[in-house]
Amino acid sequence: MSAATAQRSTIVERLTKSWLYIGLIGIGVVSFVRIITDTDDLTGAGTIRAAIIATCPILAAALGGLWAERAGVVNIGLEGQMILGTWGAAFFTYHYGPWVGILGAALLGLVGGLLHAIATVTFGVDHIVSGVAINLIGAGAATYLAEAVFPEYEGGGPRQLNGLEAPAQVTIPGVSDLANTISDQHWFFVSDVASVIQALTTNISTLSLLIFALVIISALVLWRTSFGLRLRSCGENPQAAETLGVNVYLYKYVAVLISGALAGIGGGFLALVASSGFSTGQTGGRGYIGLAAMIFGNWRPGGLLAGALTFGYTDSLRLRDTQSVHSLLLLVAIGLLMFAAWRACRKQVKGALVVAAAGALVMAWFLLTDSVPREFTVMTPYVTTMFVLALGSQRLRMPAADGKSYRRGSAG
Amino acid sequence: MPSEVDAVQLRGIGKRFPGVVANHDVDVTIRPGTVHALIGENGAGKSTLMKILYGVQRPDDGTITIEGKQVVLKSPTEAIEAGVGMVFQHFMLADNLTVLENMVLGAEKLHGIGDGARTEIRRISERFGFDLDPDVLVEKLGVAARQRLEIAKVLYRGARIIILDEPTAVLVPQEVDALFENLRELKAAGNSVLFISHKLDEVLAIADDITVMRRGTTVGTADPATATKHELAELMVGSELPSPETEESTVTDTVQLSLSDVTLTDEFGRNLLTDLSLTIRRGEVLGIAGVEGNGQAELVETIMGMRIPTSGRIMLGDQDVTHWHTRQLREAGIGYIPEDRHRHGLLLDAPLWENRILGHQTRPPSSKGMWINRKGARKDTERIVADYDVRAPGIDTPSRALSGGNQQKLIVGREMSGDPVLLIASHPTRGVDVGAQAAIWDHIKRARRNGLAVLLVSADLDELIGLSDTIQVILRGRFVGTFDPSSVTPQDLGTAMTGGAA
Repeated sequence: MSAATAQRSTIVERLTKSWLYIGLIGIGVVSFVRIITDTDDLTGAGTIRAAIIATCPILAAALGGLWAERAGVVNIGLEGQMILGTWGAAFFTYHYGPWVGILGAALLGLVGGLLHAIATVTFGVDHIVSGVAINLIGAGAATYLAEAVFPEYEGGGPRQLNGLEAPAQVTIPGVSDLANTISDQHWFFVSDVASVIQALTTNISTLSLLIFALVIISALVLWRTSFGLRLRSCGENPQAAETLGVNVYLYKYVAVLISGALAGIGGGFLALVASSGFSTGQTGGRGYIGLAAMIFGNWRPGGLLAGALTFGYTDSLRLRDTQSVHSLLLLVAIGLLMFAAWRACRKQVKGALVVAAAGALVMAWFLLTDSVPREFTVMTPYVTTMFVLALGSQRLRMPAADGKSYRRGSAG
Repeated sequence: MPSEVDAVQLRGIGKRFPGVVANHDVDVTIRPGTVHALIGENGAGKSTLMKILYGVQRPDDGTITIEGKQVVLKSPTEAIEAGVGMVFQHFMLADNLTVLENMVLGAEKLHGIGDGARTEIRRISERFGFDLDPDVLVEKLGVAARQRLEIAKVLYRGARIIILDEPTAVLVPQEVDALFENLRELKAAGNSVLFISHKLDEVLAIADDITVMRRGTTVGTADPATATKHELAELMVGSELPSPETEESTVTDTVQLSLSDVTLTDEFGRNLLTDLSLTIRRGEVLGIAGVEGNGQAELVETIMGMRIPTSGRIMLGDQDVTHWHTRQLREAGIGYIPEDRHRHGLLLDAPLWENRILGHQTRPPSSKGMWINRKGARKDTERIVADYDVRAPGIDTPSRALSGGNQQKLIVGREMSGDPVLLIASHPTRGVDVGAQAAIWDHIKRARRNGLAVLLVSADLDELIGLSDTIQVILRGRFVGTFDPSSVTPQDLGTAMTGGAA
């Protein structure tokens, strides 16, 4: 017994250590590229702050995906639920302030989730078909509701509602100033870490902190409670769960409702924090990117956090100057070559060669050009998504019964 | 130890599904502290009855009395509360969860989901000799260990009445003995076991009471101390048991298939098959025995061209076919009965005549040049349905609507058409009823007399011994022994299959 406990703790240690190492190496490489290319913007506190803001909605959507898929329901309706969330946040914030607004965003997302649950769980509709329908319904409903309601409001029009009150921001006085001083020195590594600390302690939105906290809460609930165990069992083998007295329909419903609510909160973040108000079509495919981040993260909270940060960071860089995007090429090239080396170490020769060739191409592009066309920079997050999924999705393990329709009484 | 009150009484149970009566007038009485065997052919209604007793399905008629109290079981939860636990034939385990997680699922309130549960699992494991480690992922467990986990799961919930649905179907003889040892322990601890099977030897070896089912109802009981296999078989099928015995040898001198030193390596450089050599002559049946997952599937897929061997040579007649594709091989006259008819043998939602075309899409009568010959294919399907006694409403019926035995007969008919020279049969009678089994055996025997070479892979050792001219035992991708079926016993094969001294 003690032996087993000891073994478990070493696994935990090893995992946290490996995450720590990967994080440290990552920061080191970024810092290296920053100095080589002389683009301080690459890790400037402004960039990091923008990255956090870009990350949060993706992260919320990814968490939504995690809850649904762990219970065996593929929710590509996240995008539609997010759009509903943007409208809900705008409407409720206008009337009752930002915190009720966030609840409103969650509520509207939850309605989207309810539709998806009724279709997939009760009626056994194909999950993808239902998800696409919800994306179309979400976009249509939000546009209609905006046109019907917002023109009469102050700061509103048929396609937008501006001047919404944002949730409070937090600054930790001493730490923030100290980090600011260090990051201005542009030292290797140290200043980059300081930038991150500065961004996290200066004028950070409480909603961002809430979304980060939701990652930890989700991890604890899903993996450390019997509620979470039952929910996950519905995604792994619902027939087995049924024979053990788990009410599979109930857990799937709960999971999809929470999924929708989380996506709605992500939409609310877009309307309240990422910009100063609601506008139609605000989500711009972030629901899908959230789904991609979750897949990249291997259906795990830590992994999807890493995925969301990657997408958020590249997304924020494109908003800065084109020089940064050009430096990003070097970063991608180095990343690919390191990944190739790692694969070569594991004797996966073919895979290593493909990745190395891709890395060499990007490197050549970086060396032979001085800038990246403006039009291209808009594509950055999407191209990154494609790259990451194509290269990273080799050893992924999704819940065994994910996306499969389940009927009660089918056990045995 | 046995008290006066019966553990379970089922009286007049009936269950109807649209178009079929699955159970009617079923009466079963299980005495406490005994192993009660329920026997019958596939489709006799055993599984439905078990699902009713475990609350998965609700009976239309009849009463269930557990330990003297009449109960209505609306869900497995209520069955568990009443003290009934069930081990399904297809294990109900989530591979990606640990032993502990599978065990506590649905019963988290008993001992929590942490160390309390871990201690309890270790206690049960030691008490009954289950040898389970709570923190191992289920996907790492072998079949026998999974079954012990299933039984432990039931005990963890405090069940006193344990239903085992064909528990020995997936086990080799030595594992069956170990399971029976576990069952005797359970009985000694005062539990009642309901043991469902159609293997009469095993039933006679373990049961205290026997109830026989046929066509949805109980047709009699027997005392294992006095009953013979013959009597039980007659009760079960209403006639005599078919036997796979073949007649005199029809082996000729012409070699039809030969493998020399075939090795197959996976992407990580591990050997799936190592230096396999075999020859099959015309009119010969070569049987391959082995515990599942020891390379049988890979061997078959290599011969069928779905995998290309890393080294070695495969000859069909006098042609080197090592690098041929599956379609070329099929056109050269190889018939193939795949091990999983649902995944590899049929399109379940396609009509029978379309299924007839599969694998024959380039040959008459299914095709004419580049076009599918609908008329020809339909006519030939009619022939198969008649000759092979496929019981179906018509050739436009989707194959899903057929019973397992009829699906398999359709596949056998399809693979036998076009005059094959070699038949690869993987578990040809797995999960089919006794009647269809006998018919399939007859077809294989007749084809053998006509000079067909057959490679037979099976987990049913009686079938292997009865049909084969030679038996090779495969273990971890190597042949570890050659046996003559006229002198070998299932126990000998079982020993060789598990790596004991041959």
